[in-house]
Amino acid sequence: MEHAAAQEKPIIQFNQITKKFGSTNAVQELTLSIERGAFFVLVGASGSGKTTTLKMINRLILPTTGSLVFNGENIANLPLNTYRHRIGYVLQNSALFPNMTVLENAAVTMDAQGIKTKLARPKIEQLLREVGLNPDKYAQRMPHELSGGEQQRVGIVRALAAEPEVILMDEPFSALDPISRKQLQELVLDLHKNRQTTIVFVTHDMDEAIRLGTRIGVMQDGHLLQVDSPQNIMQHPKNAQVAELFKTQQTKTVADMVALGFYHVNAQQSGPFVSEEAALSELAKALLNAPTQIVQINQQISISQTDYLRYMAQL
Amino acid sequence: MQKIIQMMQTNGQSVLSALGTHIWISLISVVIAACLAIPLAIMLMNHRKLGEGMLQLTGIVQTIPSLAILGLLIPIVGIGTVPAIIALVLYALMPIFQNTYAGLTHLDAELLEAAEAFGLSWWYKLWRIRLPLALPLIFTGLRIATVMVIGTATLAALIGGGGLGTFIMQGIQNNDNTDLLIGAGLSAVLAVVFSIGLQFLSRFSIKYLVMLTSCLVIAGLGYGSYYYYQTQQHQKIIIAGKLGSEPEILMNMYKELIEADNPKLEVELKPNFGNTTFLYRALKNDQIDIYPEFTGTVLQSIHPQKLVSHQPKQVYQQARKVLKNEDQLDYLQPMAYENSYALAVDQTTAQRYQLKTVSDLAHVSPQLAAAFESDFYNQSDGYPGIKKAYNLRFKNVKSVQPSLRYEALKNKQVQVVDAYTTDPQVKAQNLVVLKDDRHFFPPYQGAPLVRPSVLRDHPEIQESLNRLSGHISESDMIKMNYQVAIEHQQASTVARNFLQKNAFLK
Repeated sequence: MEHAAAQEKPIIQFNQITKKFGSTNAVQELTLSIERGAFFVLVGASGSGKTTTLKMINRLILPTTGSLVFNGENIANLPLNTYRHRIGYVLQNSALFPNMTVLENAAVTMDAQGIKTKLARPKIEQLLREVGLNPDKYAQRMPHELSGGEQQRVGIVRALAAEPEVILMDEPFSALDPISRKQLQELVLDLHKNRQTTIVFVTHDMDEAIRLGTRIGVMQDGHLLQVDSPQNIMQHPKNAQVAELFKTQQTKTVADMVALGFYHVNAQQSGPFVSEEAALSELAKALLNAPTQIVQINQQISISQTDYLRYMAQL
Repeated sequence: MQKIIQMMQTNGQSVLSALGTHIWISLISVVIAACLAIPLAIMLMNHRKLGEGMLQLTGIVQTIPSLAILGLLIPIVGIGTVPAIIALVLYALMPIFQNTYAGLTHLDAELLEAAEAFGLSWWYKLWRIRLPLALPLIFTGLRIATVMVIGTATLAALIGGGGLGTFIMQGIQNNDNTDLLIGAGLSAVLAVVFSIGLQFLSRFSIKYLVMLTSCLVIAGLGYGSYYYYQTQQHQKIIIAGKLGSEPEILMNMYKELIEADNPKLEVELKPNFGNTTFLYRALKNDQIDIYPEFTGTVLQSIHPQKLVSHQPKQVYQQARKVLKNEDQLDYLQPMAYENSYALAVDQTTAQRYQLKTVSDLAHVSPQLAAAFESDFYNQSDGYPGIKKAYNLRFKNVKSVQPSLRYEALKNKQVQVVDAYTTDPQVKAQNLVVLKDDRHFFPPYQGAPLVRPSVLRDHPEIQESLNRLSGHISESDMIKMNYQVAIEHQQASTVARNFLQKNAFLK
């Protein structure tokens, strides 16, 4: 598999890239290939250098040394704005322009390229439908009239609209509530499956990385520790640091599961009680013993046996 | 209130034209300031240090008192509308620049990062993102600037810029609340109306606003050049005058006389143009052609000299010579009346003691109380001087505010006050002005002061204006001042009536 992928020219190639902020090295001697069509997730704690790495792709941050090659061309030699038109970008807080409607926001890159709104409109309406927003209802709304999840859907449409070759996503779901996060993760997986657009996705959440990525790059302190498929990262961590980051599920707690959205909002108040801090093994025991096969976590939420199984199946 | 309505009926035209001037000056100042401050803020938005420096600089300009700015500008650009607009622009810069700069630089960093990442051009970012998002703050700046400019524009009247300030200054000068209320009230109403108007405009998109501003600027430039062309085409004689009713009446007489004798000549009047210094400088700088000036003022304040005599004729000759020698100005023949300092008593006192002259007054002074305006009370050419000259020994003397001395007289607290010989209050209060029989006060005779090239180009003007020489008595002038200052008749009507009645005009 490694061999087959290497035959095709990578879409993004980092060559010996170092980025210094003052005297600190944010990224050190990074060499990395991202294959066309990959869902590449950069994962690491804050300060690991993953966002710096991402922003060097669209030149929001310039490398101190080393070169970045896009489609065989050194991006330092490409005209900046036309190059950026080929790269979609989704920010953490959606960053929709508050003075523009949903339609205008989504069309902004095309508008800047001189594509008429008439031509852009049908395509954006189609994309809005794809992300689950009815264009008749949403196209003319202003960003402040949308929920956080809806805003981020528009943010994704905006990144997709100009048909970029790569979409960069900088912790796009970390500010969302667990339900919206789960829905949007599924949405992005679907979009990727249907379009095969290369995605470079940054997150600090290991579960999210494993759930979304076809390839995962693990970063720590400006170094790339391991680049591999989710299975290999889980089963064959290259070293103790990677293993520590991707702790086995036995040591995970109920809270980790809740954070990914595997729960129900309470319909009835029944079943035994398990705290959020409890290990997943305790939850499993409680579910086995519960006659209704539902366990209360707190006043608002409960977890069913199906939730548990679906959570385990995702990994 | 009744007075205001009456004033609006008789002087509505001049109130409207002052309002028009006020709006024009304010509007043009704010538009110019906006056209400077907004692009400047755009240029400096990515240069923090320069931007902060500019903020400091505009802030410093703000702290200079507006009167000082006007004073500083006079030697450079002279008087009239131009320095007024420059001063107002300087004032309006700060709020507009500060708010625009804040609006452009305090944008959400994530939005700017997004705009950057989407490969939007500098212009696209400016027009579609930065300016629209900064717009509410820009409008706040514009509103602050507009309200401030409309208020400060009242000072334009001080330097002959016209506007509503004229009424305020007239009101202060004549101690007339009607004028004051009209000037101050209208400028307050104007500020509110413009503030609401801007609020309304702030709803429109950037595109319409830029179009609207461009239209305004083009219209302004068009009108400006048309106006300039007009003034260049017609050779106009510009007659100006100091604040108050008397100069305005005289100016109108000059106009009538010049136009009657030479119908081809066009005369423009600039009433309430400013104080002595302003007018004299304007005349020397060719900004006005003629204004009426007093002989005494020439020798006391313009070119201070020791008077060779207190005889009116000799004073006039002395003044004429000084003006010719120092500044090559022509001082035409004076009129009959003198408008000098005087002592006045009420009718009952005058009758009881048979008072006609100040010498008469001196005999009975120990039985009388007097109230003098504070300047008159202190100056050596005022009360202290005349006290010595006539040996006056009043029972009681008070220094009071100008208006209070008439009040004191009305309430019989005092019997003697200081006055000007042509003061309309003389008629209003039915005062008796005592003759200065020892000629203590220097004579103040009015005569047209003319720029030399005016007489070279239109020699006939000299004859037209000299027709007034030796005419118009003190009682004539008091009566006319009364009609204009107290009854609010139009100066032009009063002037024409006088000229017709006395056969100067057919």
